Amino acid sequence: MNALKITTRDAGTGPVLEVAGDLDYLNAGQFRDLLPTVTLRPGQRLVVDLGALDFCDSSGITALIAAHHHAQSAGGQLVLAAVPANTLRVLSIVGLDQVLTIHPDSEAATRV
Amino acid sequence: MMARAGQHSDPHDADDDKTAQAAFAALLEDSAEDLYESAPCGYLSTLMDGTIAKINSTLLDWLGLARQDVVGRLRFTDLLTVGGKLYHETHFAPLLRMQGQINGIALEIKQADGGRMPVLVSSVVKHGTTGEPLLIRTTVFDARDRRAYEEELLRRQRLAEEARRQAEADRARLQDTFAVLQQSLLPDTLPELPGAEAAAHYHTASPDRLGGDFYDVFPLDGKRFGFFLGDVCGKGPQAAALTSLTRYTLRAAALHDPDPVSALTTLNKVLHERYSASGDPRYCTAVFGTIDPDPAAGRLTVHLASGGHPPAVVLRADGTATYLPTPGGLLVGVLPTAPFTAASTTLGPGDTLLLYTDGLTEARTGKDRTSLYGDEALLAFAATQAGRPPHAVIEALDGLLAGFGDGLDDDTALLAIGVPSSDDPTSETR
Repeated sequence: MNALKITTRDAGTGPVLEVAGDLDYLNAGQFRDLLPTVTLRPGQRLVVDLGALDFCDSSGITALIAAHHHAQSAGGQLVLAAVPANTLRVLSIVGLDQVLTIHPDSEAATRV
Repeated sequence: MMARAGQHSDPHDADDDKTAQAAFAALLEDSAEDLYESAPCGYLSTLMDGTIAKINSTLLDWLGLARQDVVGRLRFTDLLTVGGKLYHETHFAPLLRMQGQINGIALEIKQADGGRMPVLVSSVVKHGTTGEPLLIRTTVFDARDRRAYEEELLRRQRLAEEARRQAEADRARLQDTFAVLQQSLLPDTLPELPGAEAAAHYHTASPDRLGGDFYDVFPLDGKRFGFFLGDVCGKGPQAAALTSLTRYTLRAAALHDPDPVSALTTLNKVLHERYSASGDPRYCTAVFGTIDPDPAAGRLTVHLASGGHPPAVVLRADGTATYLPTPGGLLVGVLPTAPFTAASTTLGPGDTLLLYTDGLTEARTGKDRTSLYGDEALLAFAATQAGRPPHAVIEALDGLLAGFGDGLDDDTALLAIGVPSSDDPTSETR
């Protein structure tokens, strides 16, 4: 069990959320509560960097879907970066790899 | 008396000393009688038979009696309650006679206004010059505060005990409720399939939490049957509510239009409107399908569609196991329109279709429980069961799940549908 730690920074393309630890039933709420505080202007990208993600369950997936909806309603786009292999596998089984934009790392994700 | 060491006395110090000594002397002149009468405890002296010879004002005040009514007229035991009198006779007096003294005995004295006052009593026998017992000197301490304190302790202990019992009962009731609710989300029995067999199992990871997996097999029309198996996001009562909605929506949608992609599309619309549209995205993954049995030909046709669910496994009578791929189907309920991928297969004698939830493939295994059981391992295990009837496949998987122990984090639902092989003894009874 790893606590969730989210670091926020800004890139030219928009806000970047670096997620470390477990994104699961117990602390996915923490991520979802943070979303409304992240300003996204139309046309910007909300990058979620999962390079330090240890574990993601169905509640974690729901949190990513919530981020997708938040980005869309702000006129922006959710981009996932550095998705770990296990999570990538789950995303492809549930078909979210067709809906969400996924980049290999945040450098690629924040490239204009 | 303070002694100032190592200092030369000056005229002011000498005056302070005199004042202190004068005050001290005043205290010493406090008469012994006053010390006795107004002591903070009760004093009592009695003859050996208990007749009160001397009593102080403090005790008389507690008793609410006048001295002339007590001295020479009452015995010590007359001051006690019935219980105290009994205790005095059976314990107090004999011990005092034997030991010559007795300390800190809790008794109650009767007050003139009808009240009872809890006290602590100590007595000592005074002996004469020749050693014979002369009289008994008794001290009586006010134990009201102590009694109140003891009673408060007992009361709190009783409350804590009661609270603990209540918590235990609540927990048991909650677990019972969960068990009942869990049962209501799953079918009690699976229907009889002509020329085919269905078997299912639900493995709970935790008895304290309502799981989010579901499955069902039900008749569609006179000939075909519908089936589904899936997994809702999250855990607990919210997930259970979603499970219930999903189950009954799929059953109703199937009766209206049994095409698997249509049924999932309807479910998607219902869930999206109920949850995502109101800002609380919830989803499920599911496989929905129809079974068309052909008992005369000894086979059945399966048409299914998957919404973001792991692919079903087909176990063949020839000992092989393969996935029935349904890539690209999206999980159900999060987007207003979603693609679902269809697939079909025909099962012959000895073939079984296995559906499962990811509690199975996500189970943590290995010596340090860090690697996941995974898709390849499941396929390899399934191959060892290929050719066996559905109930045997389910039993074997149940054994596998039990073997995972605490490596199982999530509930697992299993559903197997198959055609008995021609040499299967159970095929005669179906």
